[in-house]
Amino acid sequence: MGRFVRMSLLGVLIAAGLCLWAWLGYVAIDWAGSATFELGWGATLGQAAAAIVFLQLLFVMILATLLMVAERKWSAAIQDRIGPNRARLPGLSRFSLGGIPHVLADALKMISKEDFVPAKANRLLFQLAPVANLLPILCLFAIVPMGPPVPVRHAFGVLFASLQIANPDAGLLYLFAIASLAVYGVALAGWASGNKLALLGGVRAASQMVAYEVALGLGLVGMMMTTGTLRLDAMIQSQSAGLFGTSWFPAWGLFVQPVGFLLFFAAAFAETKRTPFDLPEGESEIIGYFLEYSGMKFGMFMMAEFVEIITLSGVVTAVFLGGWHLSPVLDDALASAAASLVAWRFAGPPDPGAAALTLAVFQAALFAVKVIVLCWLQLAIRWTFPRFRYDQVQALGWRFLLPLGLVNVFATGLCLLLDSSLGLLGALGLAEIALVVGATLWSSSRPAALPVAAAGGH
Amino acid sequence: MADEPKPRAIAAYRAPESRPENLAEYSYVPEALRGLAVSTGHFLRNLLFSRDPSPDVIHRRGPNQVTTVQYPEEIAPYPPGYRSMHRLVPRPDGKPRCVACYLCATICPAQCIYIEAGEYEGDPIEKYPKRFEIDELRCIVCGFCVEACPKDAIRMDTGTHTKPTYDRPAIIYGIDRLLKGPAVSHQTDVWFKRETSAPPEEAHAHPIPRSPGDEPPG
Repeated sequence: MGRFVRMSLLGVLIAAGLCLWAWLGYVAIDWAGSATFELGWGATLGQAAAAIVFLQLLFVMILATLLMVAERKWSAAIQDRIGPNRARLPGLSRFSLGGIPHVLADALKMISKEDFVPAKANRLLFQLAPVANLLPILCLFAIVPMGPPVPVRHAFGVLFASLQIANPDAGLLYLFAIASLAVYGVALAGWASGNKLALLGGVRAASQMVAYEVALGLGLVGMMMTTGTLRLDAMIQSQSAGLFGTSWFPAWGLFVQPVGFLLFFAAAFAETKRTPFDLPEGESEIIGYFLEYSGMKFGMFMMAEFVEIITLSGVVTAVFLGGWHLSPVLDDALASAAASLVAWRFAGPPDPGAAALTLAVFQAALFAVKVIVLCWLQLAIRWTFPRFRYDQVQALGWRFLLPLGLVNVFATGLCLLLDSSLGLLGALGLAEIALVVGATLWSSSRPAALPVAAAGGH
Repeated sequence: MADEPKPRAIAAYRAPESRPENLAEYSYVPEALRGLAVSTGHFLRNLLFSRDPSPDVIHRRGPNQVTTVQYPEEIAPYPPGYRSMHRLVPRPDGKPRCVACYLCATICPAQCIYIEAGEYEGDPIEKYPKRFEIDELRCIVCGFCVEACPKDAIRMDTGTHTKPTYDRPAIIYGIDRLLKGPAVSHQTDVWFKRETSAPPEEAHAHPIPRSPGDEPPG
């Protein structure tokens, strides 16, 4: 039971850390904006630079690094193991610290390994491929809004500090465009290695990513029609309302577009090239497009995979899970909690600016929590399902997801034509969710459950 | 016209013929969710509850299902009858039961036992080992020496194995390191019948001839 308390405390600490991170982000963006404004360069430039530093370096890269060790620890928990716990920090050799020192050990290992280039490789393209793989994936995160824009007081006026690097009108189209660029890195890596198996992996990756890009787009078309926008922050805004005219049931994309969610999640999962879609890697037979890479170049491929996981989580959170919103009632409760916290902490007249900042910090932390939960879901999927056969991958993409996506687009359009208030669409979505849940419960009630617990649980 | 058997398709691999039973199974989603539920159950149980560190994995208690034994800290006992590292069995007076008959050295397929026999003054019958060394690197732990010994003087019941070391001479175990464990005596032991067979004290007083590097551990 002690572990239960410890883990609960750890969860609280993580939430508090995310709040602190969001607060630091807002402060830094505000400070950088005002500093560059004083320099005469315009506040937006400083804000963008600060957002890049805080989101890419301090959130995405740290989270990706932690996910590397989390994958090892969480997969161990799923498989009834302990996982890596032998790397210790000097002076703290009695504590395994949840395996986190293995981050340092892994990084040291990768940096100090031989940087090997095969004799048959095309040197230039071989060196270029990891960069061409990682760069677009890092760019993808630019449009994910990690928190609401908040007005920050300022000597020269009011700045809207937003935890979002770029907010183009094209929004999701930017996502599709950059995501399709990631194919080049993989295909180049496979071809430039001068190795048949790597080439096979590269070809598999290219054809798989091309196949699933169609479903990726179609999965989001439904949400574009529902919210009438391509911008992620506007999508989040439109999900803050209640469904069916209530104030407690959130109009999340998950509830109005469950099929779209499934399509996008499956397709984006295939784009990340992880199990059950890890045919391009296929470590048991062809090792895949990064077969010839060693050291930090391989590390870049691995890092790209984890950054992709975070980006996918961020996009799904923004588009389907309501971003930083819960439901209207809970949002109001959070806002009043923030206001009362500010009133309790800073005695004096009510300060709407401080209350808005506090609320924004809470909401940014909420967004981060949703992102982390989705990261966990992806890791759990990766450690649950076996790999598809290659014909199954293509059949799933072209013969299942693509028609399903088209049907979903037409059904969404029909529902929106009949009832533009999302009521009909929400009812349809809830019916679909109920169908899946019912089928799951029904199919799980059929076969006699194995008496695992009765046999001692091991 | 007899039906000719259809020629089988020539393929290296034939996919299993089992088809999904119903639409729910065909759609893959409910079964996938059930699989995820199993993973999540294991994850939460192992994350939230502490592990019973008992090395007896089968009988660990609690909701945590981890079966790992953290080896150097937790050591699972070997089952009885397991052939572990040798020991020279002492007599009740602390001297080895061994009579240097060379049977173990003879039968040893790895030829890892080296014995130098010594004779008691004035006793033409009984011998004792002046040196008894086992090269643990060569030993294949077959247990033939235990079977061959007519005096129950060598056993493999210590429940440990040879400690790893960085130099080869240190892994040649002499009497000082092999002679350990509980003493054994049988009703048929000769020293119950003949006073003269007691080995002289000085035969096992220091220094016992040792091979270089054969220091006791620690």
